Amino acid sequence: MATHDSNRETSPTVTDTLRYWRQSLSKALPSTSSGRVAYVFLAPFFVLFGLFLAFPIVFTLYLSFFKFNGVTQETVFWLDLGFHVIELNEMQLAFVGFENYTRLLSDAMFHQAMFNTVFILLLQVPLMVGIALLLAVALDASFVRFKGLFRTMLALPVSANLVAYSTVFLLLMQETGLVNFVLTTLGFQPIPWLSSDFWSRMTIVGAVTWRWTGYNMIILLAGLQNVPQQLYEAAEIDGANRIEKFRYVTIPQLRPVLLFVFVTSTIGTFKLFAEPIIINGGGAPLESTITIVQYIYMTAFIDFNLGYASALTYVLIAVVSVLSIVQIRLGGENDA
Amino acid sequence: MREADRREGVWKFLTYTFILVMIVLTIVPLYWIVIASTLPEEAFLTAGTAPQLFPGGEFWANFSALQDRLNIGFLMFDELLGTDFGFLGAIANSVFIAVVYTLLSLVICSMAGFAFAKYEFRFKEPIFYTILATLVLPIQLLVIPLFLLMSQLGMTNTYWAIILPWAANPLGIFLMRQNMKSLPDALLESARMDGATEFQLYYRIALPTMKSSLAALSIILFLFQWNLFLFPLVILEGDKYTIPVAINQLVGAQRVYYDQIMVAATLSIIPIFLLFLFLQKQFVSGILAGSVKE
Repeated sequence: MATHDSNRETSPTVTDTLRYWRQSLSKALPSTSSGRVAYVFLAPFFVLFGLFLAFPIVFTLYLSFFKFNGVTQETVFWLDLGFHVIELNEMQLAFVGFENYTRLLSDAMFHQAMFNTVFILLLQVPLMVGIALLLAVALDASFVRFKGLFRTMLALPVSANLVAYSTVFLLLMQETGLVNFVLTTLGFQPIPWLSSDFWSRMTIVGAVTWRWTGYNMIILLAGLQNVPQQLYEAAEIDGANRIEKFRYVTIPQLRPVLLFVFVTSTIGTFKLFAEPIIINGGGAPLESTITIVQYIYMTAFIDFNLGYASALTYVLIAVVSVLSIVQIRLGGENDA
Repeated sequence: MREADRREGVWKFLTYTFILVMIVLTIVPLYWIVIASTLPEEAFLTAGTAPQLFPGGEFWANFSALQDRLNIGFLMFDELLGTDFGFLGAIANSVFIAVVYTLLSLVICSMAGFAFAKYEFRFKEPIFYTILATLVLPIQLLVIPLFLLMSQLGMTNTYWAIILPWAANPLGIFLMRQNMKSLPDALLESARMDGATEFQLYYRIALPTMKSSLAALSIILFLFQWNLFLFPLVILEGDKYTIPVAINQLVGAQRVYYDQIMVAATLSIIPIFLLFLFLQKQFVSGILAGSVKE
């Protein structure tokens, strides 16, 4: 340090300047060899993270202020990788400011997509979490046998491919499908599961609930194992019955886990895409089940309106991020 | 006393009934896929026909109709052999992509997690929290910039376009860092004394002790890739389709080929179903690992 300071007082020569730069550089970089190794370990992560995650996040925001008119043949930049030459062509973008965002406010289809998503969400998430919680408590009861087998069977839908299982619901819910057969056999009227606005949303609610209840049950079951047994014993001494134990011990103790399940399910429903696109493709009226992600997909890759679709994506990302932050906040409070 | 016993009995009965009803509701759709795949379409779509409880004999007829409908290749084998593989090509593509993605992502995430857990370097905390912040983003939604990026890089309709974007998985690095932290520093230090290189510390000490967390993470990664639909739909063309995109192609506006779809669904569920039965413990720890908070 001392020599370094005295160098700076006299007029610096080229070598002095170089030494100064080298010293600041070695201070900026880690001093030990092991620290430098860390960068080697991190390098592949950062290349991919930067190119395919950080850049797209920023680029989506950028695109949302433009109107996209296509990619021209004019090369603006090329990379010679030796074995392969990559040409980057010029993109035709017209700046439109906040126009994409203001358009959103008066876009009937966007409102419909938002309405459908929230409608499905408000019915599906409480229904699924409710069933998952009851199942977890039932399986946790000391007298229940074959716990492992029951849990396995209930969690089986986790293994079903998202698109594959959606098509199964399309089949089950046909006018002449299995569900309506059971209903008519029991003396009920058949339900237009796929052709009515209301019931086609119900079909999606049912499908999503079927796919994810077992998954959430596993998380809740693990949460139940962490509830101290003494709390139940103390409640028993105080004369609490089953319902009271559930209400005053289980629910408060499970709160962080329940919250996690609620928020991840909400976010999952916001990202709904495979189910509505299959149900729509199979004949349900488009407006009744179109979700935000489906609308983004159609705007971007059928109408090729990439700028507007980017604005839609950003609105959705903002909603989902806020929900996640709320989750972390509430969860954190409870842990403390 | 007898009154209490009776109520206890009713309670047990209700609990078992609830569990069993839920199991039936869970299993019936899965069972129905398998049954429907063995029946002619009329047998399960004609009004008033009672559902068959046992498999019929039409599986191979439905299967060959499915194979004829789709023209999907796998790697360079379709060109090499001069033939496509029908729906089996989609299974091969899905398995191949998911396996390569899982392995690549495991290497990348465990290396980065090791660095964050066991080394000191500049801006370590801010970098790590930046990565954590992206955990809340629905990264599957970044399809528009990724589509433009891939078409600019000439990578549309390649396996890499599906594999690379999520290989640097934020959840993966987070889980690896949390688990690697429990690795005793003294162990690493003594290995250093014995002349081990830094890479050997990672490869010979860190990785073998992380086996169970690596298994849990690989389940998360595999299922993530296995269920990806939106981006493959955008970026892949017919010859490289994965299972979800291939099945989606059978759902047309004019006609839905249910018999063929049910064969495809049966075939696509079998691999994960077996994996689930044999690796149940890892599935459960994978699901739980995805739900941990700091």
